[in-house]
Amino acid sequence: MRKVWRDVLVFAAIAVSIPLVIILLIRFTPLPPVSEMEYARETLSKAGKNRADTYSKKLFTQAKIYYDSAMVNWQKENKKFIYFRDYNKVAMFAELSAKKASQAAENSLSSTSNLKIKLKQKIDSLNDLVSENNELFTTYPLSSEIRNRISKGKMLLSEAEIAYKKGQYLQANRKITDSEYLLTASYESVTANLKNYFKSYSVWNNWVNKTIKESKKNRDYSIIIDKFSRKCFVYLSGTKKYEFEVELGKNWVGDKRVKGDKATPEGMYKITKKFEGRKTKYYKALLLDYPNDEDKEKFKSEIARGSLPASAKIGDLIEIHGNGGKGIDWTEGCVALTDKEMDVVFKIVKVGTPVTIVGSMVDLQYVVNR
Amino acid sequence: MKNKVLMGLAAIAMVAVLSGCGKKPQVEIDATNAAIEAAKTAEAAVYVPAEFAAVQDSMNAINADIAARESKLFKQFGPVKVKLTETLTLANQVAANAAVKKAEVKKEVETLMTEVKAVIEENTALMKKAPKGKEGAAVLEQMKTEMATIEASVVEAQGMYDKGAFMDALNKVKAAKERAVGINTELKDAIAKVKGKAKPAAAPKKK
Repeated sequence: MRKVWRDVLVFAAIAVSIPLVIILLIRFTPLPPVSEMEYARETLSKAGKNRADTYSKKLFTQAKIYYDSAMVNWQKENKKFIYFRDYNKVAMFAELSAKKASQAAENSLSSTSNLKIKLKQKIDSLNDLVSENNELFTTYPLSSEIRNRISKGKMLLSEAEIAYKKGQYLQANRKITDSEYLLTASYESVTANLKNYFKSYSVWNNWVNKTIKESKKNRDYSIIIDKFSRKCFVYLSGTKKYEFEVELGKNWVGDKRVKGDKATPEGMYKITKKFEGRKTKYYKALLLDYPNDEDKEKFKSEIARGSLPASAKIGDLIEIHGNGGKGIDWTEGCVALTDKEMDVVFKIVKVGTPVTIVGSMVDLQYVVNR
Repeated sequence: MKNKVLMGLAAIAMVAVLSGCGKKPQVEIDATNAAIEAAKTAEAAVYVPAEFAAVQDSMNAINADIAARESKLFKQFGPVKVKLTETLTLANQVAANAAVKKAEVKKEVETLMTEVKAVIEENTALMKKAPKGKEGAAVLEQMKTEMATIEASVVEAQGMYDKGAFMDALNKVKAAKERAVGINTELKDAIAKVKGKAKPAAAPKKK
């Protein structure tokens, strides 16, 4: 009987102690930072949705590293005996991750918004730049290198616009940067050349005024060639009578320096001979007194300065001739008119008629603004 | 005495069973990770980025859940197994979606490539008919340079296509087509203008 009682007591003790042990085990088990980790993960996910991985890469990467560290520490702690676990580090990393992820999300939103505005402005301003310069440099003899750079710049601008429309702002930004570099550098280089060229404007203006005055004084014809506007103006008694389109030497920007440079000279010349029929291969031609004394002097000083080789020869046989109307600057340095226009000019001019060739009859400001 | 020992052992076994009743579902975890990796290989991050991010997020949540369950005295991984199965299905779906999207982009690039080549060809023919008078030839010169740039861009896009970078090729070929179509319009306008003006050459302008 005593034995039975003893067994009952032992059984009761075991029955009570087991739940007690379980309750104690649960009560004193260190709790992992589940909610902190969940918050960190959600914040990280939100940052990802805000494309912080792209637009706030540094902060987002830091947030990810902290999250991964939290997970690694959590797993490490889990391997320890239940009562020796310490989740403080896990909680700390989770908190840091959430903080960085939140910053990354905000930063990404603001960066994206700023970048979007900046890109739109850049795209618009580059499109304006292209359209302005397209007009200005339609007939300007751009080097093939500059043409290529401008063309590549335009292509990159198109690619940037496509990336921008797709919301790929970083890609658009890279394309815009490259496009801007190519376009602005090219246009700046051409504009600098043009500005340099127009430094002679005051001289050209003097020549033009003198030529018109002479025409007025002599009550006779004078011809003025404006290279930049590719025009030939025929004056009679100081009044403009005719205006024709002209074609020039391929390298018409700048004065003629040397034989074969395909440049059309600038200066005050006179017609020395008139050719027609079999005497010219260009339908009709008016030979000018190029090189005049000034040209010869300039050439000599260039040789002396060494800016031209001693073997260089000065050009000659500069004419106003027919066979024009090709729509391209093709002559060796002469001024070409269409045969029909050549007929008109040929008829009214004579040997001795002044022909003034200038870079431009209007200043650069006017050229740019028109 | 024998009974006491047996009862003690039974108690220990009960605790052991209770505390170790759940085993981490490593097979399912590995399978899901492999499916995610397969989705990554299928360029899901490029072609279906939002869907791929959702799968990754889901896996992160599962990993956190597993860690939380491992922290407990009595581990139960039953619900995790369900989630893993769901994520695995999702990852497979994302990989399939990425493949479909990739095929679509590839097809789009091919179509655009054919179209841009046709426009380039048309432009080359139109250039021969384009007016050369006045500033025409100079403009044509610039157009020729631009056409060369467009052709180079198409070659570049083809290179990207050959390497399987369809998304990059798409942007490039789209831009090339846009520019080629721009030139085509300019050329057609110029030709139409000349046709409209088709009359005997005007006499010199008298001022």
